[in-house]
Amino acid sequence: MRRLSGRFRSSMIIGIQGIRARKLRTLLSMISLFLGVLAVVVVQAGASIAERALLADLELQAGYDGTRVMDVPTQQSAADAVVSTVKGRSDAVAMLGVSGIVGEPGVLPVNPNAAPIDQDWGSAVVCDQNGCQEASGTKGQAVEVRLTALTGDVRQFRPFRLESGRWLDFSTVPSMAPKLVLNQEAAKAFDRYRVPAEMRVGGAAANVTPQFVGVVDDGDYQPRAYVRIDELTTWLPTSKLADPNTGGELRLMMSPGSPVEQVLSAKLKALGNEVYVNTVESRKEQEKQLSLMRLIFFAMAGLVLLIGVAGILNVGLATVGERVEEFALRRAVGTPRSLLAGIVLAETLLTGLFTAAAAIGVSIAALKVVTMVVGNSQPLLRDVQFPWEAGVAGIIAGLIAGILGGFIPALRAAGIPIATVMRA
Amino acid sequence: MTTLIELEGITKVLKGQEQPRTILDGVGLTVDAGQSVAIVGRSGSGKSTLLSVIGLFDRPDSGSYRLDGQEIARLPERRAAKLRSSHFGFVFQRFFLLKHLTAAQNVAMALVNGQGWQPRRQRKARVMEALDQVGIAHLAKNRPARMSGGEQQRVAIARALVRNPRILLADEPTGALDTETGTLVIDALLSATHRGCGLILVTHDRDHAARMGRIHDLVDGVLSERVMVR
Repeated sequence: MRRLSGRFRSSMIIGIQGIRARKLRTLLSMISLFLGVLAVVVVQAGASIAERALLADLELQAGYDGTRVMDVPTQQSAADAVVSTVKGRSDAVAMLGVSGIVGEPGVLPVNPNAAPIDQDWGSAVVCDQNGCQEASGTKGQAVEVRLTALTGDVRQFRPFRLESGRWLDFSTVPSMAPKLVLNQEAAKAFDRYRVPAEMRVGGAAANVTPQFVGVVDDGDYQPRAYVRIDELTTWLPTSKLADPNTGGELRLMMSPGSPVEQVLSAKLKALGNEVYVNTVESRKEQEKQLSLMRLIFFAMAGLVLLIGVAGILNVGLATVGERVEEFALRRAVGTPRSLLAGIVLAETLLTGLFTAAAAIGVSIAALKVVTMVVGNSQPLLRDVQFPWEAGVAGIIAGLIAGILGGFIPALRAAGIPIATVMRA
Repeated sequence: MTTLIELEGITKVLKGQEQPRTILDGVGLTVDAGQSVAIVGRSGSGKSTLLSVIGLFDRPDSGSYRLDGQEIARLPERRAAKLRSSHFGFVFQRFFLLKHLTAAQNVAMALVNGQGWQPRRQRKARVMEALDQVGIAHLAKNRPARMSGGEQQRVAIARALVRNPRILLADEPTGALDTETGTLVIDALLSATHRGCGLILVTHDRDHAARMGRIHDLVDGVLSERVMVR
């Protein structure tokens, strides 16, 4: 081990001396390799940034990887069981959804069925035990939203991005005027139809006036508003939150291994409900989408890198040809062949590393410039950091190019006959 | 007196030509510690080939080569490299100094050769000691381009001495120097023999050869000792 360490240090010292002695050649090698390593860094950085963006979107909609999601059929008894089980727990959050209309009293919403604000999903329909029928009335300054009541902070499972205002505070006393956090689509709708007035929810004891406290990006294309369940149930019985006639939704998000899953499954089964539990696997989903694209780009980057390797090889062979006497002399003073090969490899490896450092530096600077210039208009590039994977890929590409480009010159150097110095 | 080198019946035939040519023909030579030996002969007589065999650059086709009593004629390259580092110091007609390195770095080259590792401070001390032995410690930071031929050859001698070799092999070390400078170089080489180092000098110069303890003539591959009358 000590001998190896001595040889490693020797090859590094001599390699650095060689690089310093032939700065121009080293620079030429670096230039030929630069584009190849840069291509690898850019492809890896691009793939990582795209992967993160995709993953962030998937997480926004589906939740963090590993989160257990239980979908419960909307039955009134089920809603009571769910809320009573998860109340006060931090490892599970229930999301109960109903339809709500916010705006001018007594009018039909501008977006019946909580359609996205610029889409037409047909006319408003009212359902009860006897069936569904088209709602009558005139359209006015009101917006229909999916109203999601939360038993706790759901952001531990779904990373909503706060766009403005603040998120719901679950630690305070519930307000009589429910505080709503809108998603972007709902915020867009209320930006156009600014009517204070009231919130109408089927089955509520009264139409209350809500308070808008913030806007989040939740990845949903339908207008949606989030509310603390205890602020809503002041006016609306829990059972009404899971009324199939009001388009109810009932979903539970849990940490992996949470006992809530077992307890609630048993309770719901006892009530005659079938539950569906699955695990969020966002990363797996997006890997499928990205793997082929990444492969194609890496193949292209690999080709560019190969051209760079050919450049290093060319310069390396020329340099060894010039240094025949030096290598023969080194052998004469006892340097083993393996160390001679190591010296050449050390030089090409260091050249590869310097090139990788330069390529990474340029990529970081370019990314900074791009985010500064177009970051505001391109959400994908906003606050994006240079991915460390791209740095590692660049260093690996530099090292591989150094090894490939230095291998043949190293063999040549090791094979130089020692008698060269005697015949000179 | 310790015997360092014992050659017996060393033969080297140059192959690869239409007719193989015998370069060394049954050469025998003994060199003791502190002894200096001159090998003289015409160009092409095999002097450098003999030095190559002694310095383990090349292997003899037949014969016996003992170094410190150990047979080394058929040594694998890795062990030969180790012995070259530990036992031999080489000085060539052309100085073979690397122009991008300073005098001290050129001397240190023999220490940074993968045969054991010395810390930087220790290495520096050894290098300065070797340069001091040949009287050019003050030129340690100079590059070869800024040194005279004699100074450059003395740097080469310091490089040969820096590992405290048992034997110095010098192949026409004064060939590229004027007489006065050549004498200084021979002085430097001979001073090493006072510390117990063996010296084998290949030279055309009769005066330099005459300063050695023994003179051997190499004629058509056959080595014979000249009887010296002082």
